Parts: sequence; structure tokens; C-alpha cells
Amino acid sequence: MIVEKGDVIISVKDLKKYYNGEAIKALDGVTTDIRKGEVVVVIGPSGSGKSTFLRSLNLLERPTSGTITFNGTDITSKATDINKLRQKMGMVFQHFNLFPHLTIMKNMTLGPTKLLGMSAAEAENKAKILLDRVGLGDRGDSYPSQLSGGQKQRIAIVRALAMNPEVMLFDEPTSALDPEMVGEVLEVMKQLAKAGMTMVCVTHEMGFAREVGTRVIFMDCGKIIEENTPEQIFTNPQNERLVSFLQKVL
Amino acid sequence: MMSLLSSVYAGVIALAGEASQSSSGGLGDLWNRLKDDFINNFITQKRYMYLLKGLGITFEVTFFAALLGIFLGIVVALIRSSHDKLKDEMRPGFLKGLLGFFNFIANLYLTIIRGTPMVVQLMIAYFVIFAASNNKVLVAILAFGINSGAYVAEIIRSGIMSIDNGQFEAGRSLGFGYIATMVHIIIPQAFKNVLPALANEFIVLIKETSVSGYVGLQDLTKGGDIIRSRTYSAFMPLIAVALIYLVIVIFFSRLVSLLERRLRNSDR
Repeated sequence: MIVEKGDVIISVKDLKKYYNGEAIKALDGVTTDIRKGEVVVVIGPSGSGKSTFLRSLNLLERPTSGTITFNGTDITSKATDINKLRQKMGMVFQHFNLFPHLTIMKNMTLGPTKLLGMSAAEAENKAKILLDRVGLGDRGDSYPSQLSGGQKQRIAIVRALAMNPEVMLFDEPTSALDPEMVGEVLEVMKQLAKAGMTMVCVTHEMGFAREVGTRVIFMDCGKIIEENTPEQIFTNPQNERLVSFLQKVL
Repeated sequence: MMSLLSSVYAGVIALAGEASQSSSGGLGDLWNRLKDDFINNFITQKRYMYLLKGLGITFEVTFFAALLGIFLGIVVALIRSSHDKLKDEMRPGFLKGLLGFFNFIANLYLTIIRGTPMVVQLMIAYFVIFAASNNKVLVAILAFGINSGAYVAEIIRSGIMSIDNGQFEAGRSLGFGYIATMVHIIIPQAFKNVLPALANEFIVLIKETSVSGYVGLQDLTKGGDIIRSRTYSAFMPLIAVALIYLVIVIFFSRLVSLLERRLRNSDR
């Protein structure tokens, strides 16, 4: 199935995630579509369920009920090979999660060689191109512990890109960074968005949401409260919870 | 130091009833007595062969018991940590039930092995379970291996649990399955973290095989003890046995610290 720009790539229907029976409702009926080429930015107070929502998209969190369809396949179904689908959904974490026992080059080629069947040379060539693109072409032989936070996160992004994903999921990618390193990571994400990558980002960077996002989703208490273009969200917020949230963060 | 050794040695000799005619107790005298004792304990009737053959048995038992222990340890550790990690994620069904069953067996194994003394386990293995077998070496390998496996399992499990869950999620998010994530990402890091503890377990194992004599297996310790029973002098054979263990352990510790240094590459 070939997905054209503008077609729905991920479709989420009535997604619920409960803990302790029904005591904690991390997600309480989330429904939305992610379209090819969109940059969807998810904002909201902490504990609003935005990270849970993002992590459900590639089943790092198993939803209690509801369905997630990726390229027409129901990924919550028992019959789906989730490992195959995850190859198409790159993920970037708040704490980078680079593999500390491997060099940067090995971090980037592990997936392509073991999962996509690329030869080592092929994977390394591709990794070099990606590393150059984020300005770290000379760090292939370094270990993660030798890099700064901003460098680690840039590596984490290109490690995910090395798998040729169709969607990139970002889980607060700049929240663990020193302030002066936030810019370099956002710059890489901006380039990626410009290149047409479909992205879902949970972030507290309102500047990024406003400038790069094509749609902003505001979540609170496990529900989508409001979703709209960045312009509408930031200049003409409707819901009072969004208004008070924006007052606090802007 | 020398005088202390001299007086200890004199005491030992006196106990053995060999020092009745000694008079002066000077250094030269001590040297001569040491030399005689050495020849009597090790050279006469080729008694050193007891130590040499015993050492061979000790190595054989330790080596194969360690292999068995590591194998059992990895299997049990994977069962236990997989059960802990996957029990929330897995859907109810045959596989989950099977994992639960294996986890129960693993816990039973750990409880029994860690709750009873090694010597008792060895004797039960030889006189009860394998009473029909006369292959003492094989029984000892099994008994020590099964015993060591329980400790190795807990060491490896603690190593797996010490790896940040984010590593696991990063592997899974790239598309690696549970087992592939374990093999490529978790276990290499866990192994590095637990290497000192594993080396320690190996050292404990070498020394623990010294109870092999309880089932009549002539390992290094038993070899020394046989010499003692022939020559009626305890000092030489027992000190020799102790020194041999010490040298092996020191050598092995060096080897491990070399390996550790090589694995530490990524922590610079």
C-alpha cells in the first residue's frame, strides 16, 4: 500500500489505557488521524497522557482498548508482527537511549544490518551520510559516553532514520538537554520536517510547535481537548484549560 | 616473620612427635628439618603425584562445573527476568502459562540449592541420586555445576535488571524482537556489569571443590590429606595445598582484571 502525501498513515480510534483496573486513566478515549507529511505536535501538562499516547503508537505501551491502524494494518491485533511495523516507526526518547557498549557507527548500523539485511559496508555508507547531515561525520568511532547531550540526541535521531522509517515519533526529545543544546536538536528536527517526514512530537517547546508544526494537539486528563493549526491554538485558543496552560508556559 | 614461622613450624613438628631430639633450633637446623620434611612428604614414593593428580581433578571438575553453571545460570536468569519483564505485556495463553511454569521451576531450584549446604548436596548426589554410578568426577561436575548455576543465575539476573529499561525500549523501537534485544543490547551490557561478580563466583567454585573428598574423589585437597595420613606430618602437605589454591586464584584474578580493562573501552 502506497501512502500519498495527505493520506492517513496512522489512525487512532477510541484509545484507552487504564492502570489498576480503572483507577488511573492515562488515556481516556483518544481518536485522531495522522496524515502523511504532517508534523503533529502534542502538548499538555505533565500527566496529561501525551507520552502514553505517543508510546502507544508503536505499542511500547499496550492500550487497554481501542485500535491503532498503521498503513491500513491494525497493530493492536494479535496477528500483526509488531517488530516489522516498528521498523517503519522511528522513535526518539527523552533520554536518548543510545547503546553505550557500541560505537556511534555500530549504534547506527545494528538495526539496518540485523533487521533490514543490509551489508555492513552499505549500512556504514548510509550511516556516514546521515552523520554528515547532522554535523557529526567525524564521531563514528566515538562511544556515546564521549558525546554531549545534544550530540547524543542528534545521533539518536539519525539512528532511527537509518531504518528508513515512514513516521518519526519524538518523546520529549529536548527535555533532558542543557538549554544551550536544545537549539541544535530542534534544528535537526526542523530539517527533517522540511524534508517531508511525517512526525509526531511530544514537546514543551512551544516555539517549535508554532514554527514547524502543521497541527497541534492539546491533551489533558487522557483526552484530546483541542486540536487545530498552530496559529489557531496559540492565537485563538477555545478551551479554558488550553488558555490557562498557554498562560503558564508562554 | 621468620621467627614466627619457625616457632609455628616447631610446634607442628612437636605435635607430630618428630622433634624429640632437637636441641638448638637455629636457622640452619630449621632449614635441614624443612628439607627432610619436604623430601619425606613430596619426593619419597613420588608422593607429589597425589597433589599433581589431585590438581588435575580439581581443574577438571571446576572447569566443567563452571561451564554447566554458566549455562544453567543464563537459562534460569533469562526465564526469571523474562517472566518479570513480560508478565504484564503478554496476553494470557499457552506461552504465558509455560513461562509461569518455568519460572516456578526456576524459583524452586534456586530455593533448594541456595538453602542447603554444598557438601550435603554433593553427598546426596553421590550416595542417593547417582548411587548406581561410580563415576565420581562426573557426579562432582554435576553437583558443583548445578550448585554454581543457582548463584550464577542470580548474578546474571541482577545484571539484566541493572540495565535501564530505556535500552530495552530503544531496541524494541528499532524493530528488534525480545530475544534479539536481549542478545544484541541487554546481555552484552549486563555481562560487563557482572563480570567481577562472575569471576568471584568462579573463585568460590574452585575452592568449593575442596569438599570433593567427602565422596572419596581425590582432588587437590584430598591429595594433600592422603599425604598427611601417610607421613603423619600435616604442615608441608596442607600448606602446599593452600599455596596451590592461592596461586591459581591470583592468576585467575589477574586474567579477569585484564579482561575487565578491555571491556571498559566504552566508559572512557
